[in-house]
Amino acid sequence: LLTLNTMANRLLSIFLLLAASSCLSAQQPTVEEILARYATARPSAQQLGMYRLDWADSLKTALDRSRAEKRPVMLIIIHAQYGDITAGHC
Amino acid sequence: LINPAVIEQLQPYIVTAWYGHRNDRDIPKQVRDVWYWKFMPQRGTAQSNVDLAIINPEGEVVYCFDAFHRPFTRPPLSLAQYTTREVQRAEQLLQLDRLPPRTNPISLPGLDGQRGVRVFVTLKDDRMIAYQAPIVEVVPLSESDWHVLNYPEQPRQVNAMALHKWLSQVYPPGIMERTNQLTKKVYRIASTEGSLSLSPAQSEGPTRRAILSGTVVLTDEGKDHFSYQGRIRVVLTYSLDQPEPSSLKGVFEGIYPRRDRIRNRTRQLPLVAAFESLPDK
Repeated sequence: LLTLNTMANRLLSIFLLLAASSCLSAQQPTVEEILARYATARPSAQQLGMYRLDWADSLKTALDRSRAEKRPVMLIIIHAQYGDITAGHC
Repeated sequence: LINPAVIEQLQPYIVTAWYGHRNDRDIPKQVRDVWYWKFMPQRGTAQSNVDLAIINPEGEVVYCFDAFHRPFTRPPLSLAQYTTREVQRAEQLLQLDRLPPRTNPISLPGLDGQRGVRVFVTLKDDRMIAYQAPIVEVVPLSESDWHVLNYPEQPRQVNAMALHKWLSQVYPPGIMERTNQLTKKVYRIASTEGSLSLSPAQSEGPTRRAILSGTVVLTDEGKDHFSYQGRIRVVLTYSLDQPEPSSLKGVFEGIYPRRDRIRNRTRQLPLVAAFESLPDK
């Protein structure tokens, strides 16, 4: 009898857990909650500091501009077969 | 390039990147000059695959250094401190004090007025701070791409694969372990699976809104069908008389199982993305 009771309790717990989780998953997030989360997830101005740099899309463009504007070039050389450092997926 | 001091120091420079191999054709002279120094036998093999070179307006490399390999110092230098020190050394050769100070505004990648989605991806890697640098990708979208998100008069399901163009950008940087060993290119996301719900939400003034939400599973093109998943929640806005969305903002929050090849274990790292429509509104 004790074993049956224990099993019944366990089954009830599982049922309640499943019911609770299905309620949670069915719960629709509000517009405000999503926009607040977006504002947190979007990188801050400080985190996006790399985009304050004056990027040239090729070494040739950088050298041409350097000559015309009398400014130095910072060249990042990546010894690899691919890379896109300005997007970050490198 | 995520440290504010380094960003400040590089403001006067025109910054660019070049990648390639030693057996490539048409290697620029400046790269050859750096690699001549880099691959001298006495420099050994304890080097990274990234170098920084400072070039003067005459096109000459005045200084270069390994971006990651820091010589032994006491006290040890952080990567940012090391970079700052090396750039300062270059500045002594460039006489930068003659240049007017610059503070450049943030200029994010865009689509020149074309419609699309900007995707920010951040991997919360507590061990490799460099990987916390946000990724910013922009994806142009056609009318038919937007069409699947037309205003839902009634709740309906949207197949996540219809949003593959922009959801497939949600993967971390520097994932050497997910690289094709032949091409050395990172495996692209091959499939975006999930059934998302698109439901009308409360309106605001002359704007209608809808919410897109659900779980997506992203699988890359590797033969082992590596995948990870996360929850997506997006707010779409619509004018009162047009079914197509006028703007989109949302998030992806998931877990990326990153394989640590050295310690032979997998770390479960939070992977977060923010989405926003372009042009900016």
